[in-house]
Amino acid sequence: MTHGPGEVVVTGVGLAVPGAGTPEALLRRTACPVTGPAPEPFDTAARIGRRGHRYKDRATRLALCAALEALRNAGLIPPEGEEVTVPGDTVGVVASSNLGNLDTACLTAAAIAERSAVDLSPMSLPNASSNVIASWVAIRHGLRGPNLMLCNGATSGLDAVHWGAALVAAGRVRRAVVIGVETHNAVVEDLLGRSGGELLDGAAALVVEGARWAEARGARAVAALGPYERRAGLGGCVEALLPDGAAPGVWFTPERYAEGPAGAVPVPGTVPRYDVTGAVGRASGALGVLQCAAAVGWLARAGAGAGAGADPEAGVGSAAFEAGPGAVPDPVPASRQALITSGDDTADAVAGLLLLPTPDRCPPPPARAALISMECSR
Amino acid sequence: MSQLVTGAGAVASVGEGVDEVFRALCAGTSGLGELRGFDRERYRTRHAYEIDDRPAPGTDLPGRATDWLLRAVGEAAAQAGLGEDLSEVPVLIGTGLRELRSAELAWRDGTPFDIGRLHFGTALRTRFGAVRTHTFSGACSASLYALALAADLLTTGAEDTVVVAGVDTLTESMYGLLDRVNSEPPDRVRPFDRDRRGVLMGDGAAAVVLRREDPGAESRALGRVRAVSMNCDANHVTAPDPQGIARAVHEAQWRAGVKPGDIDLVLLHGTGTQLNDAAEAAAIAEVFGREVSGPLMTAIKCMTGHTSGGSGLLSLIVALESLASGRVPPTLGLAEPLPEAEAFRFVREEAREGGDLRVAQIDAFGFGGVNAVAIVERAAR
Repeated sequence: MTHGPGEVVVTGVGLAVPGAGTPEALLRRTACPVTGPAPEPFDTAARIGRRGHRYKDRATRLALCAALEALRNAGLIPPEGEEVTVPGDTVGVVASSNLGNLDTACLTAAAIAERSAVDLSPMSLPNASSNVIASWVAIRHGLRGPNLMLCNGATSGLDAVHWGAALVAAGRVRRAVVIGVETHNAVVEDLLGRSGGELLDGAAALVVEGARWAEARGARAVAALGPYERRAGLGGCVEALLPDGAAPGVWFTPERYAEGPAGAVPVPGTVPRYDVTGAVGRASGALGVLQCAAAVGWLARAGAGAGAGADPEAGVGSAAFEAGPGAVPDPVPASRQALITSGDDTADAVAGLLLLPTPDRCPPPPARAALISMECSR
Repeated sequence: MSQLVTGAGAVASVGEGVDEVFRALCAGTSGLGELRGFDRERYRTRHAYEIDDRPAPGTDLPGRATDWLLRAVGEAAAQAGLGEDLSEVPVLIGTGLRELRSAELAWRDGTPFDIGRLHFGTALRTRFGAVRTHTFSGACSASLYALALAADLLTTGAEDTVVVAGVDTLTESMYGLLDRVNSEPPDRVRPFDRDRRGVLMGDGAAAVVLRREDPGAESRALGRVRAVSMNCDANHVTAPDPQGIARAVHEAQWRAGVKPGDIDLVLLHGTGTQLNDAAEAAAIAEVFGREVSGPLMTAIKCMTGHTSGGSGLLSLIVALESLASGRVPPTLGLAEPLPEAEAFRFVREEAREGGDLRVAQIDAFGFGGVNAVAIVERAAR
């Protein structure tokens, strides 16, 4: 399940998380978690209004907010309006959420035990089906391509990005909006045994698109999708993506990743690490999409600093070009790639993805490279 | 590009294992029974098509769906010669309701349940060493959607072999909400009958092993998947749209390179609801046109209940068995077809020797307007 790089690109990002409106802001917040009072919960009505959303659950509303922003950001929806400007059957939807409709299922079961099924509200029926999130995104924007809902545990968000790309690579659609969303409520907090303050209440969305289709409509790509892997452990997953210990420019770690002893760490210590869950809370099925959004912010910053060091915190990262004079710019050196991993050795598997700068954001390599970062780190 | 089905597994209210399930369906055996695991007094509806594996009536256990899934995958993998080691094989699972029933029990009754087992990856890893597992929660077309994604993985050359599965059990929330919206509680599923009253849920799991076409592999194959379509109505969150269904049927036939006149058998989605059966019949009538009286048609939910996310794949396995044997299970309880389906050649009351059946179509549609349609072909005899 590995794609060649460069075939599928990211053309839009949308966020619906408190305190971070853009990929750059999400990255900043991740790098320097804000102390003090928690930001206000994300106000979905401010973005999508209230009309027509009365019976939608919180996860669905958050997903609609992120999807709308991503589709607008990709230029697929005009600034005013909600219909896509491309044929609806060229757009797929892939949503990821593990906890989204747990409350409907559990509260309904409890209400039946207390009274009877006759007393239930029929308006809850759609929310009893776990794919309600993906369905509403399609209905809202007229997206008639394949409509997937991933509920795949800790890796689910990154898996969703992969399946969005797979739909494009297989020619099923030209583009797909990929959404990761989670929320918290009494049911979720009880079943997870965690307080609401520890948990994400938010959503992130990406538009993944065939590079040629993006180009054909003049859309700007902000990242290219590299290979994806799902493996038994973190070490195996990273090794499959970056053979021989190549150092990526940045590593978006699994949720609450704790460094093990030096030999057990799969990524060189000089590579900066970001844990987005420190900024937005434990993110479950939304994590992978949030990580990709933050990685887009990192690529933008690295691109803005073209050649002068991908990341000020990366230390030697900027010196990691192995190219000599006259070398072709492909493949993108590892140091310009963002490594994203979800799930750790306690999960059923670890998913990993490389996010790459797009060609127009990849400046020519410097004439001479002093050292590669791996050498520095050993 | 087509793929081979080299193994199949099934668990349902009517039996365990593909042979037993198919024999039971051809014999007109129904899995219908009075509600076993829920408190009957809380519902107007009192029936379902459950697998009778609980310790005592009125009690319920977590993890039942996971058990059936593992058994169905085990049967399919063994038949395909994969054994118990799936560490290198992607496993795609389509489900409507995951282990939400276990979550209901955990939250409401305090039944011990690891919330990390809402999806099926952990169980598949423990039993088969599988790590490339993906749980798709795509309502009632989920397993045919998973089949489509698996076919794409083989077509693009990314994989040689993929396991596809589907599973569901009744949740009290879904059963109760369906009870709430039915105007009159159904006592059985009567697909395409004028007097149908609605759907009843069923327990079950199904699995197939899908392989790339290799020279010589066909002799061991159960059949061939020619193509699978998938789309979304983008119209209504529960009601089906005949236009979206018609597009899915047409696309599947187009991808498979067949015309309506080439289809010998249709396994209809046929849930026995007013809306589905009318929409499906209208869509089939539109796409098949003058050929609509050609293929044999049947709907097995009259005997299995609506096995939700697993239902599409269960129908597909039955279709392959029918193509191989020439026998087609009947649509029980179909006294008078609804007007849109009057011209359909339903198999009624008892199984039929269909003769030389070569190509079958399988329908699966779900909440949210998610449609998937598969075209399969008999393996060379």
